Parts: sequence; C-alpha cells; structure tokens
Amino acid sequence: MKMTAKLLAAAVVAAVAGSAASAESIYAPNLSYRTGPFAATGIPLMNGQKDYINMLNARDGGIGGVTVDFDECETGYSTEKGVECYEKTKGKAIVTQPWSTGITLQVLPKTNVDEIPILAPGYGFSPMADGKVFQWAFNTPASYWDAASMILQYIDGKDGLEGKKIAFLHLDHPFGKEPLPFLEKKAAEQGFELVPIPVGLKEMQNQSAQWLQIRRERPDYVVMWGWGAMNAGAITEAVKTKFPMENFIGVWWSGHDADLAIVGEDGKGYKSISWSFPQLDAPVMADIKKHVVDAGNSESNEEEMQGVFYGRGVVISMILAEGIKAAQDHFGTGAIDAAQLRWGLENLDVTEERLAELGMTGMVPPFKTSCSDHTGHSGGWMLEWDGAKFVKVSDLLTPESEAIGALEVEKAKEYADANAPWPMNEDCN
Amino acid sequence: MFYRTAGQFKTSYTADQALFPVRQDAVLLIVILAFAWIVFPLTASEFAFQTLLIPILIYSLAALGLNILTGYAGQLSLGTGAFMGVGAYACYKMVTLMPWMNPIVAILLSGVFSAGIGVVFGIPSLRIKGFYLAIATLAAQFFLVWLFEKWAWLYNYNASGAIQVPNLDMFGVYVSGPQATSFTQYYVVLAIVSLLTWICINLTRGRPGRTWKATRDMDIAAELIGIDLMRSKLTAFAVSSYIVGVAGALFVFMWRGAAEPNLFDIPLSFRILFIAIIGGLGSVLGNYLGAILIVGLPVVLGILPEALGLEITSATVEHLNVMIVGGLIIFFLIIEPHGLAQLWRLIREKLIIWPFPH
Repeated sequence: MKMTAKLLAAAVVAAVAGSAASAESIYAPNLSYRTGPFAATGIPLMNGQKDYINMLNARDGGIGGVTVDFDECETGYSTEKGVECYEKTKGKAIVTQPWSTGITLQVLPKTNVDEIPILAPGYGFSPMADGKVFQWAFNTPASYWDAASMILQYIDGKDGLEGKKIAFLHLDHPFGKEPLPFLEKKAAEQGFELVPIPVGLKEMQNQSAQWLQIRRERPDYVVMWGWGAMNAGAITEAVKTKFPMENFIGVWWSGHDADLAIVGEDGKGYKSISWSFPQLDAPVMADIKKHVVDAGNSESNEEEMQGVFYGRGVVISMILAEGIKAAQDHFGTGAIDAAQLRWGLENLDVTEERLAELGMTGMVPPFKTSCSDHTGHSGGWMLEWDGAKFVKVSDLLTPESEAIGALEVEKAKEYADANAPWPMNEDCN
Repeated sequence: MFYRTAGQFKTSYTADQALFPVRQDAVLLIVILAFAWIVFPLTASEFAFQTLLIPILIYSLAALGLNILTGYAGQLSLGTGAFMGVGAYACYKMVTLMPWMNPIVAILLSGVFSAGIGVVFGIPSLRIKGFYLAIATLAAQFFLVWLFEKWAWLYNYNASGAIQVPNLDMFGVYVSGPQATSFTQYYVVLAIVSLLTWICINLTRGRPGRTWKATRDMDIAAELIGIDLMRSKLTAFAVSSYIVGVAGALFVFMWRGAAEPNLFDIPLSFRILFIAIIGGLGSVLGNYLGAILIVGLPVVLGILPEALGLEITSATVEHLNVMIVGGLIIFFLIIEPHGLAQLWRLIREKLIIWPFPH
C-alpha cells in the first residue's frame, strides 16, 4: 500500500517536473495543406516555414532560449478542416496561421473571443491592416490592396494608365474578389477601363471561355488573382492564345516557379508582384542547409528550395519569429503567451540592418508595424520569368498608403458594424 | 438475453403498432437522449462541440431531409447542397433585413423558402423519373449556386461575396455569431433537430409517409388505389426541402459562422447523399449512423495518432484517414447493402433471440 502511494507520488512529481520542462517551449501550429487540390503550391511554402523554425531550434536553441514547437495541422485547404484545426490547436497555441482566405474569414470574428493572433502574411482580408478594428489579425508585410496598387503603379510607370484597358482575371472566390473595391476605385480615378473576368472554381483548369473573352476584349494588360490549378491553367492558355506575356501580371500567389516551368521559354516576360524574393546565397539559406537539410530534417529538395515560394515560407516564419522575439524582449519572459505575441507582432521593426543580422538581405523589403497598422505596407518588387527562373525587374515599389488607408478604415468599419458588438482597440490612433 | 421480449404482452392494436413495441428500445432511446441532452453538453470540450457534436447533428438533419425525398418517396435528388444554401441565404437576408427577428424563428422560417424552391424544382418529377429526375435536380444545384454567386443582393453587396453571421441574441444570450458559446449553439441545434426528427417520425409513420412509400414502390399501383401522385410527390419535395433548408440555416448560423457560395456546391450534396445511402435509405435512424461514420469518424481518426503518442505527420494522417474511411464505407456496404440502419435492425433481431437461435 505504502509502496503504491510512494510510486504514485513519484509519478506525480515526475509528471509535474515533466510539464514544467515542456512549459519552456512555444507552441506555434501551422494549418498546412500538403494534400488536396492546392498542395502543389502549399508544400514549398510549408517546407520553407518549417525549415526556418527548425533551423532556429537547431542553431540557437529556439528563440530567446525557448524552443519553438512548430506543429502542422493538415487542412487540405478545406475551410471545414481548417476550423477543426483551429479548434484543436487554440487551447495552447500562441498564433493561428490559417493559410486560406476562407479559413481566415471564418476564424477572424472568433479571435476577439479566443484572443489568439492570426498571422496571415500577404493574404486574408485587406482591411485587417486596421489594427484598431482587427486587434488580433495581422497580414504583414503587405495586403492584396497593396499588391493591386503596386501593379497599377508599375503599369503607370511603364506607359501610363489613362485610357488603358485592364482585364482582371480572378478566381471567383473571396480571395479573387478581394482587390476589386480598390481596383474599381482606381479605375474611376485614373481613367482606365477595368474588365473583371471571374474564373469559377470548376473552370480553373479549363479557361478557354475566359481567354476567348480576353481575345475579344483586347485588353492592354491582364492582371491575375489566381491560385492553385488556376495559375497553370491561365498561363498555358495565355501561351496558346499568344497573349503578349510581358503584359500579363499576377499577384504574388501567381508567381510559382512550377507553374511557369511547364511553359518554360514561352512564358518569358510573365510578371508577378512579390514582397519576397529568393536569395540563394543569403546566409540564412546556408544555415538552413547546414542545420536542417544536411541533418536530414527537411522535407524539401534542392530544386524547390530555389523557388520563390520556399523563400517566401522562410520569410513568413521570420515574421513570426521576430514577433516572438519582440514580445520576449518587451515582457522579459521566454515562454510568451498569445496576448504577448500580439504585442510583439504589433511592434515589429524589421529594418535593413535587422535583415542583415538575420542574413536575409534582399529577401523581403524592410517593414514596420504599429498598433493601428497591422500590415506594415512593405512594398514589393516586380518579378519576371526569364524562361528558367524569376528575376527582379523593378526597384522597390511601394503602395499608395493614403488611398489604401482610407479604404481600409472604411471597409473595416463596415465589417465591425455588421458584426456588432465588435470590440475596438481605443488605445491606439 | 439483453433484448428479452418474453413477458411483454400486447393486448391491443395500439400497443402492437407502437413506435417501440419492445421495451428495451424505448430504454435505449432514453439513454441516448440523456446522453445528448445532459451528459455530452456537460462534458464536451470546445473541440468536441465544434467538430463532432454540432456538425453530426446538422448533417444528420440534412440527410434526414434528403431521406424523406429519396428514401421514402423514391425521388432521387442531387440538389441537397443548393437547397441548404437557399435556407442559409434566406436566413441571412431575414436577420439582416429584420434584425429584431428571433433567430430561432428566422431559422425555422428559412425552411419555408427552400420548401418553395424545392416544390418548383420538384414539378418535373411529375413527368420524369429516376436518373432523369436526378439530372433535373442537378440543374437546380448548378443554377442555385450560380445565383448565390451572381446575385449580390443575397450577400448584401459584400466585397468578398461571402456571408458573415452577425451576433444575434435571444433574451440576452447570444445564440449565433462569434460571441455565442458552443454550449448554447449545441442546445439550439439539438432542440431543432429533435423537434424535426420527432415530426418526421410521425409523418413517415402516418398517412403522408404511407403515400410516399406507395409512390416509391410502384407509382401506377399507387395511382390505382387512389393516391394523388402529384400531391404525394410535391409534399415530399416540400417537406424534404424544408428540413434541408433548416439544416442549411443551422449549418451556417450555428456552426460555420461564414459561408461562400461554393460551400453549397455539389460536393456537399454528394456528402449528404452518401450519409443517407450509407446510413440507410428509408430510415430515420440511418441518417444519424451515417453522419457519425462520415462526419465524426474522420475527426476521431485524425486525433487518434496524437492521443496514442504516435509520431506521424499531419499530412500522412490525412492520407491514412481518407483510405480508412473509404475502406470502411466499402466494407459496410458489402456486409449490408441496405445501410447501417438495416445492419442495426439485423443485430437487434439476432439479439432478441440470442443465445437460442431457434
């Protein structure tokens, strides 16, 4: 009897000690999609994210001495599974990385109640930039409206927007419709004609009807908001219909190397705006190679690691890691919680010097967030497919913050009103 | 032994025709209801509410609606997802146009709209049957989803084209929207599902159910004994679409919180059809069993490796999950082509005479 009591006590002690030891880690799950119709684009991003965190764990023992427990929950890009993953992880997670506009829209209203930050780098709902309304959501470093603004600026800089006809080929889905309010506003202001051409989810792979319309309309430019199978479909169709590739510009999710590799030389001139760029000789890539790939802990491969998307995954994890670090420094504690991470993500200041320290110069433009600006509006570069890989063809483009800011505040207010009662962060202005 | 019917005498026709002629069945139902109404809500975690309890109930209700049409009245429909969408969008428009409206009333009323649409698309069933009718309902499916995408008024001209459920309260308690707790939402869903199931049991056992079954088994014979086929088929479409519409409103308002048009596309229709077929066509119980298998099992399988401490990556779990659930569906359909409800019926019969098979 006594023996059992002792054993029991020992077990309890061991359990307590065990949990104390594991408390010194930060649980940061990622709602990944390595399966399903969007897996081809998902895998390089997920690998980039995972490898960067694993590299930090291996090289520095985590962030601020605390290991990051980076876990994946598979969604297959399905909103239903995404919500399941959110519910599964929210108990101990300090962050939600929803990875689809659908899942983001779904969990966005819940974050005020659950108090977990959403990190949606370069996707989600553009008005999330308004930190006053969306206290818990971050689409650092650039939003879809930023992308639309930069693309228009690029066209304007090349041969003016006035009187031009721009076809907006987009996925008929919340993601594809996202930049429409901004583009419509700009079309009225700058005097160009906008022709929205939606591509239904069922028509992604066969866009002959849409491209027939493009041939009939004869637009000066085609701007594409595509994802997954839609990109390859559009690019092959553009090649087939002999649309001048240099006048075909995609959003950052339409700049996947594998989609262009299918057409190779024929895709030469195709452009994609991007807030990230793969720097193969960057010190961070060498560290990933040394600590993760050579140790056999990476699911990636040589070819994939040279792509735009893998590099972007690395940058995304860097944003999270910087948020964690900022919070640790401010609160003086290693194992930060979700609310502290929110502070960290609100006070990111990734300067050129910091990027150099991280060994990531040129992989992402510098950006800075604040309480009222959750995007940071880093700007981006125009990338062009040279037949084998993407190259930079512009200097840093920056979005017109003023026009976007006004629209963000307006749409954020609409959202808050529709979802009343919606708590506002009155402390920031 | 457990199902001993010895000593349970029936002395009147009423007793013989009772819903539960065997006492143990009634006891079993009481136990299940006690679990559903008391034990589960008190013990369930947020995760269990959101991924098991609420979705299983909602999918069961949608399958029940489809079963009335396909299982009882014999009219194959592939438009269930779209009819759910009609319910959801009707409910959304009602609560945004009339914010004072009681959310439960709005949910129950939204079924009326889908019933109306269902009847309209049911009219071809008077002339065409079987696979041809399935194609006609498929047209409803494509048309309605297209309408949800193109008719901006339906989603209040929202830029993203999706609908977001507002916070709605009832007597000071939030029942839908992000502020509502899963606990409240579960009870709302459970109450509505219980009520509609009770109504359906009575309908299918009563005169309407018998006319539906007669229509299903042989429509010419049914007509000869004086059944008005038009009425029979259209009531089946109306009742079925009503239930499916309510399920759609619950789907979005009590569970998803937001919806985009393609949510109601054909995969949803197929999913519900599978639940009804695997559960058992022409049964009420089958819908619940089917939903547990198709909706609940993948969730349980998904958390199993982690609970057992196995180191399997999340993507692999997902692949295994698809394989296991697919395998099980084939297995169940081979051992009992009439679905899980029939399987349960056989087990019950065996149990009644067990351990003496003669």
